[in-house]
Amino acid sequence: MIDRILASRQSQLALFALLAFAVPLLLSGNRYFAFIAGITLVHVLWASGMNLLYGYTGLMPLMFAGIAGISSYLVVGLTSIGWSFWLAMPVGALAASLVGVVLGLPALRLKGFYFTLCSLVIQTVITLAFVYFVNLTNGDTGISQIPLPTLPGGASLHGLPYDLVLAALAVIGVFVLIRLVDSGFGRRLIAVREDDELAETLGIGVTRQKLTAFFVGSLYAGIGGAFYTPYVGFISPRSFDVLISLNVWLMVAFGGRGTIWGPVIGAVLLAPVPFLLQDYYMIKDVVYGLLIIGVIVLLPAGIVGGLVRRPKPDPEIVPATVGEGAR
Amino acid sequence: MSAPLLDARSVTMRFGGVVALRDVCVAQMAGETLGMIGPNGSGKTTFVNVITGHLAPTSGAVDFAGRPLLGRKPHRIADAGLTRTYQAVRVFRELTVRDNIATALVDAEAPLARAEVDEAIGWLALGGRLDAVAGGLTLYEQRRLELLMRLVQRPKLIMLDEPVGGLSSVEVRAMIGLLAELKSRCSVFVIEHTMKVIRELADRVVVLLAGEKIADGPPAEILTDQRVIEKYLGSADA
Ligand SMILES: Nc1ncnc2c1ncn2[C@@H]1O[C@H](COP(=O)(O)OP(=O)(O)O)[C@@H](O)[C@H]1O
Ligand SMILES: [Mg+2]
Repeated sequence: MIDRILASRQSQLALFALLAFAVPLLLSGNRYFAFIAGITLVHVLWASGMNLLYGYTGLMPLMFAGIAGISSYLVVGLTSIGWSFWLAMPVGALAASLVGVVLGLPALRLKGFYFTLCSLVIQTVITLAFVYFVNLTNGDTGISQIPLPTLPGGASLHGLPYDLVLAALAVIGVFVLIRLVDSGFGRRLIAVREDDELAETLGIGVTRQKLTAFFVGSLYAGIGGAFYTPYVGFISPRSFDVLISLNVWLMVAFGGRGTIWGPVIGAVLLAPVPFLLQDYYMIKDVVYGLLIIGVIVLLPAGIVGGLVRRPKPDPEIVPATVGEGAR
Repeated sequence: MSAPLLDARSVTMRFGGVVALRDVCVAQMAGETLGMIGPNGSGKTTFVNVITGHLAPTSGAVDFAGRPLLGRKPHRIADAGLTRTYQAVRVFRELTVRDNIATALVDAEAPLARAEVDEAIGWLALGGRLDAVAGGLTLYEQRRLELLMRLVQRPKLIMLDEPVGGLSSVEVRAMIGLLAELKSRCSVFVIEHTMKVIRELADRVVVLLAGEKIADGPPAEILTDQRVIEKYLGSADA
């Protein structure tokens, strides 16, 4: 019975929403733990966006953090010259999406490893740009004391309400991903991932699908970035360097790329790790390195992918009336 | 006389120093089944790649259903009702048969209705395999799935690149039967090494040799043509 209920995506989403809102509420007595929960929720959003690109479209964009950073810096910059966060946020996120589409252009030519390599170079350039444009970013020193978003009436968004906003974003992010993936768009992306030449032969405009995927994936990066920075109160080029991209990628790969819940679980398990290892700063990167190798070698389909590696039949589109009894 | 469905004029395709196609002219009428034969490396697959937009030819012109094709992307050419299969069978191996079919339907310009899709699944005897992962099918099943994924798009012309390649002799016979029936569903262009396929299916056959068209006519005539026999049939199977 419970299995049956949990089998539907609506109930899975409802359960996730319940947890996403409940955990910050339960942890509200301890600001530090609640903060870890908030950061985890941002990573759920990021992992979902990365999942659209890596899991469903088959592209591994190592400039994902850079795109989030572009949105972050833009929002910080715009609010510092007097814009409301609520106006700066969509502008920053949208700008990051457009940049994401442009930076995704190499994916039209390069596949697999070659695109990943190219995205690594792009990420490096973005990080260098964050360091270089000192006027806008304050360079390596970074910008601290970033103002919190203000609410109507003048109060600032902080503490539990901010956590709950992040919970809402994570839930909306997963909900939108479910809708996208279950639509024709998701089917096209999977076709592109599996064999883009065959997809094209079957009438699927591969270029358009890839660029749309970059737009949407970058929007996830950008929205997450916009909310992340005021929450943390600090931004520097290190906040959005290649290691962050790799972390988000690891969440997707570890949890199960190309499944809805795998990357969510990956984010929930891995996002708190840096906080838990804070006292062991030296070994943090080693732990991540081992995890990456472990996932590649032992769990190529991820936790969820390893459990349910079964493509879902789609009775909507092709009725199974013919010959079903034949086997 | 009406215009041909497919009209390729003076198509030339150069890969660096290699001339894969030289001034090839091929016309196919709607409803006609056109065969193409030629030794390995004579440019047959390249011809299909050029027509279906996978390669841009060095020079030449191609019209399909009265409209120029060159410069259009493969998915636009599919939209126009011209589709192809691959010499090495190509399906979405990780997806189920059902999802393969659904993927073929997702951007089809004039998809078959549900009942028609069901009928086509039955015709190709894939009804019992809908939930199987395509990569696990036998080669013959994959070839049929490949055909089905084109058929649900209601193509005007399907270009088959060696559709019986790798099949057992029993399967070849069965496939020839299917292809004979396919002719009533759409126009067929078929590349084959197996002369039986050409002899039984083609209304007309084009012979390529080293990128040049050396003969074009009814199979009975071409397959007995002294030049063709010398250049091709003598060296390959008959
Ligand atoms: N993409 C390509 N790049 C370079 N050479 C190619 C390419 N495709 C085909 N060729 C060359 O063109 C010639 C014709 O090949 P092909 O069309 O595959 O022949 P067939 O299908 O008749 O066996 C061969 O010499 C082959 O090596
Ligand atoms: Mg060939």
